[in-house]
Amino acid sequence: MKIALTINAVAYTFDADPDMPLLWLIRDEAKLKGTKFGCGMALCGACSVHVDGDLIRSCSYPVQLAQGKTITTIEGLSTGPTHLHPIQQAWREVQVPQCGYCQSGFMMAAAHLLEVNKHPTEDDIKNSITNICRCGTHPRILKAILLAAKYKKDEPTQ
Amino acid sequence: MALLYFGRSKIRSGLSKLAAETTFGSGITDFDPTVWFAVNADHTITMRSPKVEMGQGVFTGFAMLAAEELDVAVDTIKVMHASTSAGPQSTAGTGMSNSTASLYVNIREVAATLRETIKLAASTLWKVPVTALQTADGFVYAGTYKASYADIAKQTKTWQVAQTPPLRPASSFRIIGKEQKRVDLDDKILGKADYGIDTDIPGMAYGAVLYSPYFGGELKTADTSLAEKAPGVLKIVPDKRWIGVVATTRFAAEKALTQIRADWSFEPDYATKDAIEAITVGKGDAVVMQDDGNAVDELTGDILTSEYRTPIGFHASMEPGIVVADVSGDNVNIVTSTQNVTFMRQTIADQTDLNEDDIQITPAFLGGGFGRRGYKHNAVEAIKLSRAAGKPVHLLYTRQQEFQNGYVRPNTHHILSGRLDKTGKIAAIQHEFATGSMAFLALPMAKPILGADFMVAGHGARIPYSIPHIKTTIWNGELPFETGLWRGVGMFANTFATESFMDELAGKAGADPLTFRTEHCGDTGLLRRRKSLLLNLGKKAGWYTPKADTIGRGIAVSEDRNTISAVIVEVQLVDQKIKILRVIQAIDAGTIINPNGVRQQVEGATMMAISAALYEEAAIENSQFVQTNFHNYQVVTLRDTPLIEVIIQESTEAPSGVGESPLSPVAPAIANAVYNLTGVRLRSLPLQSALDTHYRKDKRDL
Ligand code: FES
Ligand code: FES
Repeated sequence: MKIALTINAVAYTFDADPDMPLLWLIRDEAKLKGTKFGCGMALCGACSVHVDGDLIRSCSYPVQLAQGKTITTIEGLSTGPTHLHPIQQAWREVQVPQCGYCQSGFMMAAAHLLEVNKHPTEDDIKNSITNICRCGTHPRILKAILLAAKYKKDEPTQ
Repeated sequence: MALLYFGRSKIRSGLSKLAAETTFGSGITDFDPTVWFAVNADHTITMRSPKVEMGQGVFTGFAMLAAEELDVAVDTIKVMHASTSAGPQSTAGTGMSNSTASLYVNIREVAATLRETIKLAASTLWKVPVTALQTADGFVYAGTYKASYADIAKQTKTWQVAQTPPLRPASSFRIIGKEQKRVDLDDKILGKADYGIDTDIPGMAYGAVLYSPYFGGELKTADTSLAEKAPGVLKIVPDKRWIGVVATTRFAAEKALTQIRADWSFEPDYATKDAIEAITVGKGDAVVMQDDGNAVDELTGDILTSEYRTPIGFHASMEPGIVVADVSGDNVNIVTSTQNVTFMRQTIADQTDLNEDDIQITPAFLGGGFGRRGYKHNAVEAIKLSRAAGKPVHLLYTRQQEFQNGYVRPNTHHILSGRLDKTGKIAAIQHEFATGSMAFLALPMAKPILGADFMVAGHGARIPYSIPHIKTTIWNGELPFETGLWRGVGMFANTFATESFMDELAGKAGADPLTFRTEHCGDTGLLRRRKSLLLNLGKKAGWYTPKADTIGRGIAVSEDRNTISAVIVEVQLVDQKIKILRVIQAIDAGTIINPNGVRQQVEGATMMAISAALYEEAAIENSQFVQTNFHNYQVVTLRDTPLIEVIIQESTEAPSGVGESPLSPVAPAIANAVYNLTGVRLRSLPLQSALDTHYRKDKRDL
């Protein structure tokens, strides 16, 4: 089936099995490797991306559902290397990553959280992000999201 | 059962002492600066790391050590993995938390040699004596002469490697010991870091392999007719113990795999209870690891005896095992996430017709290691698939295979007995424990010689306190599945048992658990360091300050190859669930290279330990692991995050590892805190299910 979609502001058309998970299209066809595979069953969040602004675990999202939609991955989160997304700024400041493998998924989940809840409390964060990190970066993730919320508030509105 | 190896027992307990105290070498012999470094035209310096970056920050530590002697900024040094064809080789793999510590001197020496080599080249170019040259910020100076390292490199055809100069003293360090941002930070924030799974070679196809989910399962029959016709399938490759598919996409390969009907022969009845029975003190081969004084005779009269158990655990690295193999003729190029290039190369040579020299391996970033990537891998499968398809093949374990077809942390059983003297100090103590092995997966030939795996699975079993009579015995049981290294190796289980028991003895003595421990420390060597770390922790964490009745406080300490970790945990019960409020971790790891790196490792080890202590447990039914993914193998999430404080002990001792030592005291500290709060002593992991069992029993008894 022909799938037309936009990933990080670039239009793509692919010929793909309609049931193929969006994750493999992003990674293996569009060659954007920042989005990761951890479980394949929507359990770990490593594959999180935004689809039309919604937070989606792309390992369990068939490409046919992405037809005509706009996808943002970690590579498209910032508008440029000099203008990092507040989440990435905070991640850098707090120095969150260890192995780093789960981090794209966490950052996509966190960026989405700040869209729907501008000033999350620590409990809000704990209750809404269920991604898995095996290296134990949790304390820094919490710190970074709270910091990113502050950065976001201080940003001039466009 | 009497010890079978009487004649060898003394040798073995001597070996065991040695193993506990030895820090392992780096496995590297080549310290030629031109093998390690390349000076680039863009003023950066490439450093090839023989140790892999799996999150532990080894690239950052190495860049710091090199920059210190090279007189450049840390971010000038671009660290990349050495491959089998370029850069220094390590035969020891990456693990044991020893990468930075074991190379602390070597890397500075090789960097200093490079600096002197560049100076030597400048002196030849300028005809100025070397002694007149100085270096700073990537430049060489002599009077009015000034050139960057890159310029010198450009003008130098053949390098004459200088003598290794004396190292700079710690008092002049500009970089070592200061806060340093990770060198891989930005790539990991931008999603640009390349892991094994990200390898993409033009023309690459995707593999998927069907393995037996059963222990020791052999392929009886398989019907692949449907899979052969499935869209995108290029090749079906049957082997003795697996069937592989190569297809144009991963989805096509996985879909085809579901259409294969395979029948496995296996012994069907094995269950968790059998693994528990197999790993029981008194079963299997025994080795006495420690025999000071006369513990057995001294353990009479008013004895306290307790039994502990720990379950089977998975590593659950977020990146599953991955190999990309590209076979052409008699050669293969491999890109992979591995902790042990040497082992992978040897096993490929053993299991295929390829020679070691024809196997090139390039490691990529690892999405976690934790001991899982030291041994069993899917490289042979990837090679066979690549050869059959005539293409490079990308082969990933699924999460289910990572759990069911990898190797696991073995379950353990511990019996501890102790007697107090009249003053309330421990007069005699005995630790008998049973475990599956961790070392024999890689070294099966060591089993008949060693008898039991006291070196690795037995690590941390010796009672490290100053007590007149101590005996420690390991029993190595047999399990029908593969068991191996797991972060901290034997420390995790052994520390849970011994440090829980220390608390029980403190209780019997009516003593404060912290003071009780320091009273058994003495004033020399590692025990002196243990004592001062405990005292410092107690003071900073407010051990002696009053707390609310709803809070339980527990302490535990451990020592792992010269690094000491002591931890205080505060817990609460919310609806009978253990909630960890605060963890204060103190660490003495000698000289600290990067305090930020140490804090990251301590925080990470704490979270992994909480996960293993509270929740993680693999069960067996019908000769297979029940757990297949994260829905039935619970690990911690953000919700479980307590406040974590890290206290780094100042020290001028040689640096030692930080990645594993902070993990082991967490579980006993939690158990001790739960006891402090509830009076319930939990003697098996995971603690939450031990507590659930306790409450269920309570209810029944009402
Ligand atoms: S890989 Fe998609 S949620 Fe785990
Ligand atoms: S940083 Fe390694 S899994 Fe999260």
